[in-house]
Amino acid sequence: MARRYDAIVIGGGHNGLVASAYLARAGLRTVVLESRHVLGGAAVTEEIVPGFRFSVASYVVSLLRPEIIRELDLPHHGLDILPLDGTFTPLDDDYLWRVNDHGRTIREIRRWSITDAEAYEEYGQLMVEMARFIKPILSLVPPDLTSNDPRELLSLAPLARAFQKLPQRQQAVFVQLMTMSAAEFLEQWFETPPLLATMSASGIIGTFQGVRSPGTAYVLLHHYMGEIDGAFRAWGIPKGGTGGVSGAIGRAAQAFGAEIRTEAPVARILVRGDKATGVVLESGEEIAADTVLSSADVRRTLIDLVEPGILDPEFEKAVRRFKFRGSSGKVNLAVDRLPDFTSLPGEGEHLRGAISFSPDLDYMERAYDDAKGGRFSSRPYIDMIVPTLVDPQMAPAGKHVISCFVQYAPYTLDPALGTWDDQREAFGDAVVDTIAERAPNIRDVIVGRQVLTPLDIERSMGITEGNIFQGELSLEQLFFNRPIPGWAKYRTPIRDLWLAGSSTHPGGGIMGANGRLAALEILRAKGRRIA
Amino acid sequence: MTTPTAPTSNAKRYDAIVVGAGHNGLVAAARLARAGLRVLVLERRETVGGAAVTSELAPNVRVPTLAHTVGRLRPSVARELDLRMHRLSLVSPQVRVFAPQPDGRAVTLWADLDRTADELRAWSARDAAAYASFDATVRGLSAFLAELASSAPPDVESVGFADALLGLRVGRSFRALGRDRARQILRVLPMAIADFVAESFETDAVQAAIATRGVLYSYLGPWSAGTTNILLQDSVGNDGGAAGQVVFAKGGPGALSEALAGVVRAAMGEIRTGVEVRSFVSRDGRVTGVALADGEEISAPIVVSGLDPKRTLAMCDPVELGPNLVWRAGNHRVPGVVAKVNLALARLPVFTAAGGEDERRLRGRIVVAPGIDYLDRAFNSSKYGRMSEAPYLEATIPSLVDPSLVAGAPDGTHVMSVIAQWFPYQLREGGPAAWDARREELGDLVVRTLEEYAPGIGALVTACQVITPLDLEREWGMTGGHPLHGEQSLDQWFLWRPLMGYARHRMPIHGLYLASSGAHPGGGITGAPGDNTATEILADWRKRRR
Repeated sequence: MARRYDAIVIGGGHNGLVASAYLARAGLRTVVLESRHVLGGAAVTEEIVPGFRFSVASYVVSLLRPEIIRELDLPHHGLDILPLDGTFTPLDDDYLWRVNDHGRTIREIRRWSITDAEAYEEYGQLMVEMARFIKPILSLVPPDLTSNDPRELLSLAPLARAFQKLPQRQQAVFVQLMTMSAAEFLEQWFETPPLLATMSASGIIGTFQGVRSPGTAYVLLHHYMGEIDGAFRAWGIPKGGTGGVSGAIGRAAQAFGAEIRTEAPVARILVRGDKATGVVLESGEEIAADTVLSSADVRRTLIDLVEPGILDPEFEKAVRRFKFRGSSGKVNLAVDRLPDFTSLPGEGEHLRGAISFSPDLDYMERAYDDAKGGRFSSRPYIDMIVPTLVDPQMAPAGKHVISCFVQYAPYTLDPALGTWDDQREAFGDAVVDTIAERAPNIRDVIVGRQVLTPLDIERSMGITEGNIFQGELSLEQLFFNRPIPGWAKYRTPIRDLWLAGSSTHPGGGIMGANGRLAALEILRAKGRRIA
Repeated sequence: MTTPTAPTSNAKRYDAIVVGAGHNGLVAAARLARAGLRVLVLERRETVGGAAVTSELAPNVRVPTLAHTVGRLRPSVARELDLRMHRLSLVSPQVRVFAPQPDGRAVTLWADLDRTADELRAWSARDAAAYASFDATVRGLSAFLAELASSAPPDVESVGFADALLGLRVGRSFRALGRDRARQILRVLPMAIADFVAESFETDAVQAAIATRGVLYSYLGPWSAGTTNILLQDSVGNDGGAAGQVVFAKGGPGALSEALAGVVRAAMGEIRTGVEVRSFVSRDGRVTGVALADGEEISAPIVVSGLDPKRTLAMCDPVELGPNLVWRAGNHRVPGVVAKVNLALARLPVFTAAGGEDERRLRGRIVVAPGIDYLDRAFNSSKYGRMSEAPYLEATIPSLVDPSLVAGAPDGTHVMSVIAQWFPYQLREGGPAAWDARREELGDLVVRTLEEYAPGIGALVTACQVITPLDLEREWGMTGGHPLHGEQSLDQWFLWRPLMGYARHRMPIHGLYLASSGAHPGGGITGAPGDNTATEILADWRKRRR
């Protein structure tokens, strides 16, 4: 006897939960089906080492949309984001330390280069203006440029007007942001090696690109978008880890009447004719619904969960063509003391922000060259954070957890290296060795270590090839091309089967925009009021 | 017309001065002269042609000094300027690409699709089957780009950002593509060429042989975004399918330049060589003429620059440009990575992979790029300011199709023209200046690389000319040694080539136009920028005369 819902949401990641909240809020009887025992997908907190709780995968809140925080009243449901102050780039015998205090940062940069210090101000202002201009795209359902329906292009009209109002130089800079490499874009202003490398690093996170690869510049904007969402801190770490975000969104969804089931892995999406009619769980249980919304990635949804032979072969080819190419790993450390950096000893403020292992552009490119050769970087780019310094309850008193985002770790290894199961510990060692070069005491303070390779991310979170953004954020897979040209509006060729994961526009990061836009599209299609 | 007011040392008045007698400058000059303008062409070097020149490497041995093929020359240019009347004759071999592999096999691409597919079968039945449709795709997509290239880009300022963001909609041609092609082009333009070829072909050797045109002349590797766009741009023109064009001008590319110069002179245009222009003279935002290195000033209401954009803007009065534009011009990217090696050979070299058919198989572009990873590694070293230890080469032996190049030389003599990548202008050790000391090393490296595919070729070399990126800048005035007058990556393309707001050939100083490869639609021996510029100039000229 099948249970009946208006909407089934596959996947209890942050996007799935956001979508379910909006659907439930509009009065749809909605159930969320999460395969794991915990909610959150990649935004999850788990106790890996007894007493030590980790944001296992994604570790900072990047661009959680303010409208979502507002509309779902997330603070009321327990969302609390703690600010991270600054970025510390340790070198052998020096460092670059930028903090939120602008004056201090300028003084620090002047230590390296007078011209960079001057450019930094101008650059910052320019980026904020750019971000203000581009931000609406994050809340926009991509138009179909090939459509002959003028309304399709109309959605871009406000952007077009905004663009024409920009001074010519800013128009030019915008084009550069959309097409250039992060490194070459930044080199127009700056010369200081650690500054160039650390700033450009944000352009490669989660992609199989290098800082000198065209198309990596636009990600630089994300930081400044965060800044202008400043009313509510968009950058920081959620209290209780990133699982805290998922928890808050989940509670909001439940408050709106959504039902959430964990350990309910979906085996198949049921399709009758050209319409999705529900799902079958691995347990064999059938759940019927009028609408099925998947927050799993596009390949997993349409290739793994849909009966073969249902999709048009051309479309299926396009889905298989969608590039994932997981390129990053995660190393979580439980430590009984803080790392001590030779370039700036002691347990100072510099440990309270991001600690970036990115001494210069060559270092970043060599790390990428390793990955292109099918090897994990012998000296990787590491974005390290010590959450316990702002959220002590994540570890026993006096002890700490350290989160290391590591790039590059290519999903597909050179066969000579064997599989990731053979290389996992070697990869973890490379990360610890890299840290030890700048903070030699790290080896002695580690009491527990979790190494997450792209393969592990695929296995545990079900993301194809372990790409943290559910698909490369490369130019040909953005906006109206994401995930499939002609299918950027969260729909699929199967009626009432929708996508809401990071595979869709506007991509990955704990934004929630995908889930919200997908839900709103569904409600519009059903002629329901948004609520 | 406005009468020039600046002091002028010669009584003669000109309507237009063209600075730089490269093929684009000459095309523009020819069209202006034919339209009745009094045109003066000024060339710093002793010979006209710029990168399209033929020079004597040894007694009676003549080589294409830089560019070696002219297959992308815009047909309408050749037709409208009756270049045949001016003794330009073109020859095209059956073979397009011969890509020898280390294992002694080769990928050969012919003008004839079936013949190509037949030979690809030896590599992979799947690749052989995919070839024809890949060729059709490339032709279909590049036909649309040809439409974009056919005239100056639309005016963003007035038409609006719609054109910028939706630039690819311009022309009915976008709709004419049909939905699937339209979606396809929006998807593939920004793609990495390695991904694009992998969607059709499974064999590494085949993928690389085809992918090379996506990185040729660029500081980009096979995995760099936007390299598919470059390959499709290269396929714009006469017969650029999957294999790309191979067309030689009899007498070398210099013959094309001579023919163009002939058209200019026949139309009463004046060409002076050995004359260096120091700067563009302007007053109140309007160009009034040019100042020569020797101090002489020549006036004209129209000045056309055949030089690269960076140099062109550097020769303008910075006060007229203003700080923003000076900053933007300073950041225009010209990362030269190309060297040229010309060889005189006592005999035709024997390529192992040609299986005794050298005569037939070496007539096109000989491509040394065995594998995508090979290309990628060759590119990687340039990121660190080093020469590639195993470079990517595109060689031709024009004397096979045009014996006149070696007429009078000892029997069996041949010339080989080799374009070599990646050799960064900005060497990490010593910067550009270090190139003079490394010229021989570069030449040896290229010959040594050829030896691996044509054993004994080194012993055949009777004369060798090595042109470094520094030489390209010094002798040919290409800033940064960039043969295309500026990187053809997505950030310097179409509406923003050379700079956003200046893509319509009109430079910030009124009456100054940019006709070189640095302008839309970009580099290569096409004559397109010069042709498009002439169209814009004549439009303005007629307006002014009304």
